[in-house]
Amino acid sequence: MIKFGSKEFDLTLIIVALILSAVGILLIYSAKYHSDNPVERAIYIKQIIWVLVGLSACAFTFSIPLRFYEIFSYVLYFLSLLTLVLILMIGSSKMGAFRWISIGGFNIQPSEFAKIATIFPLARYLAYSKRSIYSFRWLASVIGIALLPALLILNQPDLGTSLVFFAILISMLFWSGVPLFYLFLIISPFISLVCGFHWLSWALFFLILIMLLYRLRPTFIFSVGFLLLNLAFGTITLLVWNKLHHYQQQRIIVFLDPGRDPQGAGYQIIQSKIAIGSGGLVGKGYLEGSQTKLAFLPHQHTDFVFSVLGEEFGLLGGIILLGLFTFLIIKGILIAQKVRNTFAGNVAIGLSAVIGFQMMINIGMTLGVMPVTGLPLPFVSYGGSSMLLSWVILGILLAINSRWYEY
Amino acid sequence: MVALLGVIIFMLIGRMFFLQVVKGTYYNRISEENRIRLLTLPASRGVVTDRNGKIIATNRPSYTVSLIPYEVLEAFAKNRSQKSTVKSEDLTSLVGKLALYLKLDAHFLEKKIRSNLTKSYRPIKLKKDVDFNTICVIEEQNEDLPGVIYQVEPARKYLSADWVGHVLGYVNELTREELSQGSSKKGFRLGGVVGRKGIEKQYDDILRGKDGVTFLEVTARGKILGPLEERKPDLPVSGSDVRLTIDIDLQAVAESALTDFESAAMVALDPRNGEMLALVSKPGLNANLFAGAMSPGEWNEILENPLHPLLTRPIQATYPPASTLKLLIAAIALETKIADRNTTLSPCRGSFQFGRKTFGCWRPEGHGRLNLEEAIIQSCDVYFYQLGLKVGLERWSDYAQLCGFGQRTGVDLPEEEKGLVPTLKYYHKRYGKGEWVKNLVINLAIGQGEILITPLQLAVFFGGLATDGKLYKPHLLKEINNPDGRIITTQPEEIGSLPFSSFTLKVLQDAMIGVVNDPHGTGVLAQIPDIVVAGKTGTAQNPQGEDHAWFVGYAPAEDPQIVVAVLIENIGHGGTFASPVARKIIEEYIRKEFAQSQKDSTLQISSY
Repeated sequence: MIKFGSKEFDLTLIIVALILSAVGILLIYSAKYHSDNPVERAIYIKQIIWVLVGLSACAFTFSIPLRFYEIFSYVLYFLSLLTLVLILMIGSSKMGAFRWISIGGFNIQPSEFAKIATIFPLARYLAYSKRSIYSFRWLASVIGIALLPALLILNQPDLGTSLVFFAILISMLFWSGVPLFYLFLIISPFISLVCGFHWLSWALFFLILIMLLYRLRPTFIFSVGFLLLNLAFGTITLLVWNKLHHYQQQRIIVFLDPGRDPQGAGYQIIQSKIAIGSGGLVGKGYLEGSQTKLAFLPHQHTDFVFSVLGEEFGLLGGIILLGLFTFLIIKGILIAQKVRNTFAGNVAIGLSAVIGFQMMINIGMTLGVMPVTGLPLPFVSYGGSSMLLSWVILGILLAINSRWYEY
Repeated sequence: MVALLGVIIFMLIGRMFFLQVVKGTYYNRISEENRIRLLTLPASRGVVTDRNGKIIATNRPSYTVSLIPYEVLEAFAKNRSQKSTVKSEDLTSLVGKLALYLKLDAHFLEKKIRSNLTKSYRPIKLKKDVDFNTICVIEEQNEDLPGVIYQVEPARKYLSADWVGHVLGYVNELTREELSQGSSKKGFRLGGVVGRKGIEKQYDDILRGKDGVTFLEVTARGKILGPLEERKPDLPVSGSDVRLTIDIDLQAVAESALTDFESAAMVALDPRNGEMLALVSKPGLNANLFAGAMSPGEWNEILENPLHPLLTRPIQATYPPASTLKLLIAAIALETKIADRNTTLSPCRGSFQFGRKTFGCWRPEGHGRLNLEEAIIQSCDVYFYQLGLKVGLERWSDYAQLCGFGQRTGVDLPEEEKGLVPTLKYYHKRYGKGEWVKNLVINLAIGQGEILITPLQLAVFFGGLATDGKLYKPHLLKEINNPDGRIITTQPEEIGSLPFSSFTLKVLQDAMIGVVNDPHGTGVLAQIPDIVVAGKTGTAQNPQGEDHAWFVGYAPAEDPQIVVAVLIENIGHGGTFASPVARKIIEEYIRKEFAQSQKDSTLQISSY
């Protein structure tokens, strides 16, 4: 531990994040190395600039006292909601989806910052609310805080990012001591939504739900309410679905899982699997990936950056990268355990969940086991908003770590 | 929480191990030697039939002849027993044969092949839509035609009748610009077709289906090794079949009845539900021209034709309705008790003096003193000039709008025109705020002046007059047959009701029977033995040439089953030219219906 004045400072976190960023720059350089376009070849320089910007953002957030986030949590939250509403109205279109605001030539993606801004009010509510977790008010507020930005982002439409909010919510609830079965109840309507398509599996699921409720005996109204909610989700979606035309159904399926669209994302997944699979144990060597060279993957420097790593550095490179991420996330959980202030602990868990969830979805997508959602790999993928967010998360984690003794 | 993270990391590494170690050699082979090619499996477009299930549009195989350059080079090399150099004679002889079989210019063909002659398996398209006989010849000669292949794709085939182009429209390929303008979302692809006009455009979503796709493993040179084992092909989903309300036999009769006229419009519908039975627009449009490969010359010929063959006249051309609209002013007068069946006005002496202006009657010798019914039967202009002044402009335009004029009927064809109902406001805007504009109703009363309507609007209006005043949305779609067996039937949709009492309608109906059956009637040429036809003639003044002839009629008068509106451009009197056409169409339909019901009743009897 190095001490800056009176504050403890964890250098290992910074080093790991820097290694990840450096790997990202190398992979972006490789992805565009064979391009004919000199502007494209030079985008790694832009990424270096973003890392520098990220570092200063990290230093800035590190210096902000934790009290600030606690006091202004709702203000920050409503500001981010406001920007989300704003882009719904004036956002510029990128690849058919409205996600960006252009200010003086810079594209800013407000949904990235909404992730952090949602963690604060959730952490504060979970830390200080005196209500019983079985009360309707408690449940509604907790879910509402996460659902509001998620719905606004789903409308953009960006399914992947809105799912991040659920990952944040579930992991923070779990951290706050909400029992597992209760988390199960919260997600049960969504399971009903999926199971509703097959009556037998839905009936089985219902049976399990009733048994759980019977054993755990929450209040009567609570139980009935959840059963009705499940019933509604299961039946209504099925009814609506059957009313739809075949091509409308197809459109929804492709929205939920773009990998089904063979002309677009489906093709990318196949190419990504070929790239990673052909990398073998140790890879083809830096700048030698043939899939990468032939530019079969249109997003290989952004969302599919992991496939470049897989092809050129093989299983070994992949395991090292996963190791670095694991280190970051475990460090985040350890910080949450160490810190005395409940609010700060909750924040640390939420931030770690963002990194962990995005890593899982992104790498899973390039390996063909997760749906294509367009979530970037933190620190590694090309892109300013994502890089900035990653370093801001790191800055806040470092700040919590260095002030662990504060109440 | 750490345990969960451990499980996730473990699963990701497991998956990487599976891809990179277990299947590593497989993926390595693909990435080293081969490429993945996407092959579209085109969906076949839905079949369109008439109301009796007779096919109007279907699909036929279309052959595209292509050349695989790699195989050509290999064959040449074998001939010479030496590699690399391509002898000009070899190529010239191949090009010569191909030019002969495909009827293409040899120079053009040689240039096209030469510029693409690389060691590649990617086919060069030589000619699209080659006829089957040529394909047979190429098949027989394939020893002498190395590398020449043909591919089959579905193409549209239409019933070869001139009306089909107007009702069904046609399909053709999407342009690059259209694709980049975001239509890719709806499942379009380059080389795919889209409906451009008529039913093909209106119901494109339903007819198109969904293309399938298959992934092929090909070598770097383009040789197909077979389907990619890890992804099954998405099979194409055929478009839904569509049954129209059109009767192609009736359509054929209508077509032949109008065969002597250059430009005309005809629409026949069932007033009880709005089903359109026939729709003719002359000059006709051969839809098959568009389905195949059309030359720029043929396209320009259509575009530059002064008769505008692309215009679907029954719904897109607007005309003054002329005397056919005298029924409107008569109805208003009856409804507002300005006149009854027997009201007489100043006798007709061949013209009508108003202020300093003289308005002539079509019969210069005059009709004498007539009551309302007789005035309709003989179509006396002077009577209606006077009635128009009594009704007044504002009341006239209010009622005209209530009857559906100046608004689209909502027919299921693209780009319907709505026509124009001039109002006091319209005239004030156009001529300034003078009281005198109200007198323009004199002309409107006989359906002349600024009023413009489509033949379809008039047919719908007469459908209401013929029955109990209910107006049904005219439509061509009778049924959608989904590939999964679901059938969706169009229900008749009421779009309004004429603002007239049954008493008023009865007077008009009697008068319309008189128009055709009274010896003085203007529409006597529409008479059919044993069937009571009713209707109204019209002769629209045309400043550019001969008058346009109108006849709108229905039958049987006691239980109307068909309304027919006929308009013939630049020809003369409606009673002389349009009535006989309408008669032929009505007669065919009623006889057929009668024969059908006879057959049905004999069947019933024999089953006892």
